[in-house]
Amino acid sequence: MSVELSKKGQVLTATGLAAGYDGRAIVSDIDIEATPGKVISIVGPNGSGKSTLLKSLVGVVRVLDGTVKVGDTVITNTPSEEVAKIGVGYVPQIDDVFPPLSVKENLEIGGYLLARHEIRGRIDAVLEFFPKLKAMMSRKAGKLSGGERKMLAMGRVLMLSPSVLVLDEPTANLAPIVATQLLEEYIRGFADFGSTVLLVEQRAKAALRISDWTYVLGGGRVVLDGAPDDLAQNPIFIESFLGGGAATHAPKD
Amino acid sequence: MSSLGFGLISAAVLAIATVGFTMQFAVTNVLNLAYGSIMINSAFVSYYVNQHGVTAWVALVGGVLTGAIASWLLNRFVYTPFQRRNLAPITVVIVSLGIDLMGTFGLQAIVGGGFVSFTQNQGSEYHFAGLLLSSLQLIIIGICAAVLVGVHGLLKYTRLGKAMRATSANRSLARNSGIKTNYIISTTWLISGALCGLAGTVFAMNAGVFEATSAQLYIVLLLAAMFLGGPGEPYGAMFGAITIGVATEVSAAYINPDYKDVIAFVVLIAMLMFRPFGIFGSEKTN
Repeated sequence: MSVELSKKGQVLTATGLAAGYDGRAIVSDIDIEATPGKVISIVGPNGSGKSTLLKSLVGVVRVLDGTVKVGDTVITNTPSEEVAKIGVGYVPQIDDVFPPLSVKENLEIGGYLLARHEIRGRIDAVLEFFPKLKAMMSRKAGKLSGGERKMLAMGRVLMLSPSVLVLDEPTANLAPIVATQLLEEYIRGFADFGSTVLLVEQRAKAALRISDWTYVLGGGRVVLDGAPDDLAQNPIFIESFLGGGAATHAPKD
Repeated sequence: MSSLGFGLISAAVLAIATVGFTMQFAVTNVLNLAYGSIMINSAFVSYYVNQHGVTAWVALVGGVLTGAIASWLLNRFVYTPFQRRNLAPITVVIVSLGIDLMGTFGLQAIVGGGFVSFTQNQGSEYHFAGLLLSSLQLIIIGICAAVLVGVHGLLKYTRLGKAMRATSANRSLARNSGIKTNYIISTTWLISGALCGLAGTVFAMNAGVFEATSAQLYIVLLLAAMFLGGPGEPYGAMFGAITIGVATEVSAAYINPDYKDVIAFVVLIAMLMFRPFGIFGSEKTN
């Protein structure tokens, strides 16, 4: 990566985590760990609690039990504006930009916590990483295409040089070729640079291809986890996610 | 032609009020139907300061402060506690309607039912593009222009204004970006409340004589102007206010003036039926 966009990672851990709405747990007994330089993915069927889990890590959904830590800092139920300050960048699946604001203003809001004189330099760095955004700085975010919008959403969190990136289905609704580029070039790139990447990905094959470790969620609990190669051989995983004969399509390294 | 002049002044007053009202609604998510009663309470504070020998234009500061503080207190001690209980948004709207009635009739109980007026002269008269305007009216137009330019500058160029727009567009994402949205919302109550107090005072000055219930139907004009421009759209609010202000006054010249608020009501209903997101609003908000 030519510019220093994200910081070297910190470990993000959740221990014995339960979280949900109105005091009712949607996910429970969750133990996960995301480490620097790695892409950690979460897969699972619709309604298995993937988004709720991510939201509980970043202070959007209430943690009912257990602990969330970034490095040595406990961030359980820390308000999400504080979580941003600690270096965790969260990109939600939908509503991931401010539609009535221009691209430039979206990035400025991403850098809200920075000093005024730092903002321009950071915008330049983000634009160097996502050069396509350069030509659309004054366009409203609501007018962007799906791929452009996701780049902006990621650019927004990169403004604060996060050490941990938490991404909720970044490839949802993207054209396959854009999705692949996003995952293999950009998201893998953050981890290769040393950041911690925790990602929910609907498409199991794509998730295995770029992940170092994958957790499988079912009914609000972790039902399976492992390295991609092992999961690709696991009969339960194959049957649930890859369909028959998937072992012959084992993901690369 | 004179009705066009009146329309212009009404439009200027309405524009100040609507810009505050729509900003409040957009950022705080509260449709504050008590806005009209805060306007008239602020006007009475300005009036009492004025009665103590202070020039009306200085007394106006009292009204601005009253609007700001009353709105802030209303949010802090009434709307926020209700919102925290995760009730349906309509609950807060009904609460605000109750506050409006209490604010208006509470004021009436204190100041009595009589009409009052500011001690000020209307100033000399000027002919202006075929219109006859007093210096009072010209100052109101000037205040309106200053407010519109000021609000535009705030929203477009300041860190606070951008944070207000971000909070309005997507509160959760604003928090994820490190914005303390509770602080932004409190500040918005202060700013929009100040505009409410300012609007109330110039409304009363322009009316000449006024009483505790003078602004009771004003909420209809506010809603019509806001929905015409698109809820939460500050530039739409300016457009909506000017259209409604001129339309109600000009129509009063041709039909029975008692019906002039009805014109606003017709516009409001038509907008809600055919284009609830306004002329400037986009169909997909949030």
